[in-house]
Amino acid sequence: MKRFVKKWRYPLFRTLMLTAWALLAGFPIFWITSTSFKPDNEWHKWPPVYVSKNATLDNYRMVWPIHQTGSIFVTPDQKGHGVAHESVTANKPWHALKNSLLIALSSTAIAVAFGTLLAYGVSRYRILSDTRMFQLLVLRMIPPIVVAAPLTLYYSVLQLMDTASGLIVVYFITSLPYAVWMTKSFIDEVPREMEQAAEILGASRWQTIWEIIFPLIRSGVVATFLFILILTWSEYLLSFILSKVDVVTLPVQLSKYEGSTEGRVYGHQAALAVGITFPLIIIGIFIRKHLVRGFTFGMVKR
Amino acid sequence: MTASATETAAGTGAAPARGSRSRGIRIFKWTLLTPLFSLFFFLMPVFLLQLYFSLHSWTIYLSSWWDADYAGFDLFREVLTESRFYWAFARSFLFAGLSTVGCFIIGFGLALLMYRPFRGHSVFYVLFILPMLTVPIVISYTADMLLFRSGPINDIMSFLAGTEIRFTWLANPNFAIFTIIMLEIWNWTPFAFIIMLAGLSSLPAEPVEAARILGASRLRIFWEIQIPLLRPVIFLALILRFLEAMAEFPKTWGLLQGGPGTSTETIPVYLYIVTWRAFNVSKGAAASYLVMLLMIVIILSAIYVLRREKKALDALYEKPAGGGEA
Repeated sequence: MKRFVKKWRYPLFRTLMLTAWALLAGFPIFWITSTSFKPDNEWHKWPPVYVSKNATLDNYRMVWPIHQTGSIFVTPDQKGHGVAHESVTANKPWHALKNSLLIALSSTAIAVAFGTLLAYGVSRYRILSDTRMFQLLVLRMIPPIVVAAPLTLYYSVLQLMDTASGLIVVYFITSLPYAVWMTKSFIDEVPREMEQAAEILGASRWQTIWEIIFPLIRSGVVATFLFILILTWSEYLLSFILSKVDVVTLPVQLSKYEGSTEGRVYGHQAALAVGITFPLIIIGIFIRKHLVRGFTFGMVKR
Repeated sequence: MTASATETAAGTGAAPARGSRSRGIRIFKWTLLTPLFSLFFFLMPVFLLQLYFSLHSWTIYLSSWWDADYAGFDLFREVLTESRFYWAFARSFLFAGLSTVGCFIIGFGLALLMYRPFRGHSVFYVLFILPMLTVPIVISYTADMLLFRSGPINDIMSFLAGTEIRFTWLANPNFAIFTIIMLEIWNWTPFAFIIMLAGLSSLPAEPVEAARILGASRLRIFWEIQIPLLRPVIFLALILRFLEAMAEFPKTWGLLQGGPGTSTETIPVYLYIVTWRAFNVSKGAAASYLVMLLMIVIILSAIYVLRREKKALDALYEKPAGGGEA
């Protein structure tokens, strides 16, 4: 009996602690998912409704309407017939989704492409000294708010305010340090013998990059791409400041359901939030082994 | 930027035919550097504009910003004599400091429980990284749903305590900042957790084993062997988290917008309010400039430490089979 207690005491304690934190970590995500299915009379109820018995897709229908012109938009009812609503709070989630996809995907792709090339140059030709590599981190570490005001004016002079290309450029800049550092950590792991062999066989430098290095670090580049995509997709401040109407991204769109005259529209917010968050959770779980490397600029590996 | 880079030519492979080859390498290097240079030139005017605005008095109500009145250092003086500015600093440091420590303690604790493999390890790992993958602004609105007076958190606490609790998490000016700190801790504990877990699992087994054979207690092994070996990882987690927390905007803004009163007004929120709510662009620019200078000092000292610790880290990951750096 004593041995039994001694053997199981630690695992039991461990499971208990871990479960407690897992519940705490999962609860807000559970809550937002459950709220997104609640009818409007259950949003503010006391005692709160944990899992709605009258679960409905109405919130999703409102937030992701099938058709919209101006402030009038059409949502399908239970039978699938279109019903017209008028709302000022519901702007354009589909439009925001399109913007978010366009901006996040293209800025990430550009950052990873240039980042990989730079990282290759640093790893093999030392085009940037150690000091410069660390100085590159300043681009990421400086709080973006300190340059936000001059950036706004600069953008309005360049006519980049409220354009997708404007946001793509700033996201390229803020994610470049991550791209360079993370891909460099992958390139450093590739032995040089292959490149030397390729060079002897007469391959050009670009050929070496494209045909020798790239295939070897492909999974690392994909991980870098997805990691930066997570950060860019969820970025709020710069998008909030540099966009007005045309290129509102999903995180900014979410804030349009707050503080309106209709009070807090929890259900709609939740339905939109679920749409924003779940793709990221899936991507994040997919690259979970590389998250450490990403967040630590490739300094900690698993 | 990199004048020295061109001089340190071909150090990589043996090069019998100099001339055209080293020239080729030089062109190749500069081609790779082009995006960085264009970026530098693209960003330059932003900092010049910031300097311009902090020295000239301009608000959005005046028409053309290019012929605003020269104000000298008046704007800096105005910012520096404002107690609100210092309070914002104090709050930012409180926010960043406490949340960093909180994330670290919880994350390290979880990592210590999990660095030895057991059944269900990967399930817990996936569950634990969820908060980090949630969009910050979503967290702030979710927190609003969870923490308002008739929200589920108060309900669960009432259930656990046995009496009805209706705690004001958000509208209480003395407590609101701690609510935000807790949110930040919830959001970024996974960050400390994954770093510490990776650090713990990459520790060499021999020193711990040797100490155990020599009869050291578990606590002593922890303090005198594991902690010193983990130092670079610990520094990395603390520094990166602290810097990110100093810049935190979506959660503080989305949830409370600096309120109630100014009780959750951290530096980023303060700068936002001055510039975009009061439209005091010049004052905002002057304040931004001061914040930027201070942040650069903090970041450069952080980078100094990071460089030192990275050397230790690279030594830790050094594989006996060679490869990587020659």
